[in-house]
Amino acid sequence: MRRVLVAEPDSDLSVLLERQIERLGYQPVRDTPDGPPPDVDAVVLEPASAVGHSLLRRFGDAVPPVVCFSIYPREAGLEPPGSVAYLVKPASFAKLGATLQLLFAA
Amino acid sequence: MRLTSHPQSVRGLAVAGLAATFVAMIATGDAGHLGAIALAPWTGLLGLELGVVGGTAVGVVATGLYSGAAEIAGGPTGPLELSVRLVALVAVGAAAGAAGGRVASSERAYRAVASLQTALLDSTLDGICLTDARGNALLSNAPLRRISVEMGLPPTGTVPERLLAIADRTTEPQRYRERMLALAREPDVVSVDEFELKDSGRVFRGYTAPVASVEGGAGGGRIWTLREVTADRELERLRDAFVAAVSHELRTPLTSISGFLEMLADEEHELGETGRGYLGIIRRSTARLLRIVEDLLLVAQIEADRLELQLGPADLREIAAATVEAAGPAAEDKGVALELLPGGPCPLEGDAHRLGQVLDNLVANAIKFTDAGGAVQVAVVHDGAWARATVSDTGVGIPTDEQGQLFSRFFRASTATRRAVPGTGLGLVIARAIVEGHGGGIALESVEGEGTRVTVALPGQSGGA
Repeated sequence: MRRVLVAEPDSDLSVLLERQIERLGYQPVRDTPDGPPPDVDAVVLEPASAVGHSLLRRFGDAVPPVVCFSIYPREAGLEPPGSVAYLVKPASFAKLGATLQLLFAA
Repeated sequence: MRLTSHPQSVRGLAVAGLAATFVAMIATGDAGHLGAIALAPWTGLLGLELGVVGGTAVGVVATGLYSGAAEIAGGPTGPLELSVRLVALVAVGAAAGAAGGRVASSERAYRAVASLQTALLDSTLDGICLTDARGNALLSNAPLRRISVEMGLPPTGTVPERLLAIADRTTEPQRYRERMLALAREPDVVSVDEFELKDSGRVFRGYTAPVASVEGGAGGGRIWTLREVTADRELERLRDAFVAAVSHELRTPLTSISGFLEMLADEEHELGETGRGYLGIIRRSTARLLRIVEDLLLVAQIEADRLELQLGPADLREIAAATVEAAGPAAEDKGVALELLPGGPCPLEGDAHRLGQVLDNLVANAIKFTDAGGAVQVAVVHDGAWARATVSDTGVGIPTDEQGQLFSRFFRASTATRRAVPGTGLGLVIARAIVEGHGGGIALESVEGEGTRVTVALPGQSGGA
C-alpha cells in the first residue's frame, strides 16, 4: 500500500486529509518531528508553513514527490523542491485523489 | 478715513497745493475769482481723504486763506464776497468728503470680502492655483505654496513648466511627462491624475480644468488643485493586504468544512429529514462563503495587476448558454422569466472560465433585483469585430446618482441595501477587470423602477453570426 505523509499545520485539516487519504486506499503517515523523516511514497504539504519547511529540510536531498495543498495560489518561490502538483485550498478531495492516482501510476 | 493706499502723500499734496495757491495769489497780487477757484480742487482733494467734517473744515480754512491773501494782495473782502466764497469752498470740501466716505466704505467692504476669500482658500486642504492662458499663476493659496516647496518645484516659470520639471522624480516619469504635455496641448481638457515622488514616497492627486473667464472675461485660464493622498493610499494598501491575508487564512477552515461535508455525504442517509435539511443549509452557506473568499482574492489580484487569464478559443454564446442554464433554477424559484435570445455562434479568443464568471455575475444580479413576474433576457451578438453580450432585466433599476460608483470596490446601490439583497459589492469590479483584461469594455444603463441593461463588448473573431 502506498504511504502518504501529511504535513498540514491545521490539526482539523490534518485529520481530514488523513481520513481522505485512507478512503482513497492509501496509508496515511504521521510525522514525528524529532525523529528521522518517515519512508513514504508522497507528501501532501502546505508550502506556506513552518511545518512543511522543517519536514523538507529533514528529507535533505531525498525528498519524495510533493503534492502542494496551499492557501496561496501557485507563485514563484513558494513551490518547494520535489513539487509534482499544486492544489489550492479548498480543492475537492476528488481532485486530490486524482492527483495521487496520477502520481502513483507514473 | 483712508481713500488711497498712500493717504499721507495725497494729504501732503493737497496741503501743498493750498499753500502754493495762497502764495501765488499774494505773489501775483490777484486774489480775485481765479484765486478762489484755484483753491477748490485742493479743498476737494483733501476733503476726499478727510470725510464730510474734515472737508467742511478744509473749506473754512481755504476761505480763510483766500481772505488773508485778499487782505495782503488786494481783492474782494466784503462780507458778501467772503460769504459766497465760504459757502462755495465749504460745499466743495463737504461734498468731496461725502464722496470719499462712500468710496472708502465700498473699499472696506471689498477688503473684508477679499480677506474672507483668502482665509477660505488658505484653510482648505488642497493647494489651489489659478493661471492665465499662458500658465502664469494669477492666484495661489497658502497650501499650494507650502506643497510646492515640499515637492521641490522650481520657484519660477509657468505652472505647467514647474510641474514638468519634476517628471524625473516621479515613479512613472514617462507617463507623468506625457500627461503634462497633453495638458499643454489641449487647453480644454479636464484631468484628474495621481503621481508618486520616488524619493519621499509621497503621493499627490492633481486636478486641473479650464476656467471660463479669467482676466476680465478673456478666458483660456486654468484652475489647478493639488492634494496629498499618501495616507489614503497607505490605508488602501493596508486594507488590501489585510483582506488578502484574511481571505487566504479562511481557506483552511473552509477546506475543513467542505471536506467533512464531503465525508458526511456517505452517512447522509442515516440522518432524518431535518438533519438533511440542516446539511443542505451548511452546504449552501459554505459554497457562498467560498465564493466570497474567491471574490476577495480575485479583487486583491486585480488591484495588484496580477489577474491572469487563460486565453483560448471560446464562444460567447456557449458561455452565455451555460450561464442561463445554471441560473435557471434560481430564476424559477423567484418567478422570474429567464431566457437566452436566439442567435448564432460568437467566437472569440478568451478565458471561458472567467468570462463565464462575468456573465454568471450579471445574470445573478439581474435575477436578484427583479421581482416575481419580471423578466431577464440575455442576448449575444457578433457585431463586426466585436462580440457583445447584453443582460437586460425589468427590475428595480439603479438611481442615476449611484451609477457612477457601481464599479467601485464594496459599493452597494441603495436599492440593494434597502431590500437587504446579499452581496459584497465586488461582482462588477471583477466583471469589469476581466472584460478589460480581454481588451473589451462594459457599459451599464439603468432607469430606477424600470430596469437595467449591462452590455459586455469583447474583441471577436471572424465567423460570428
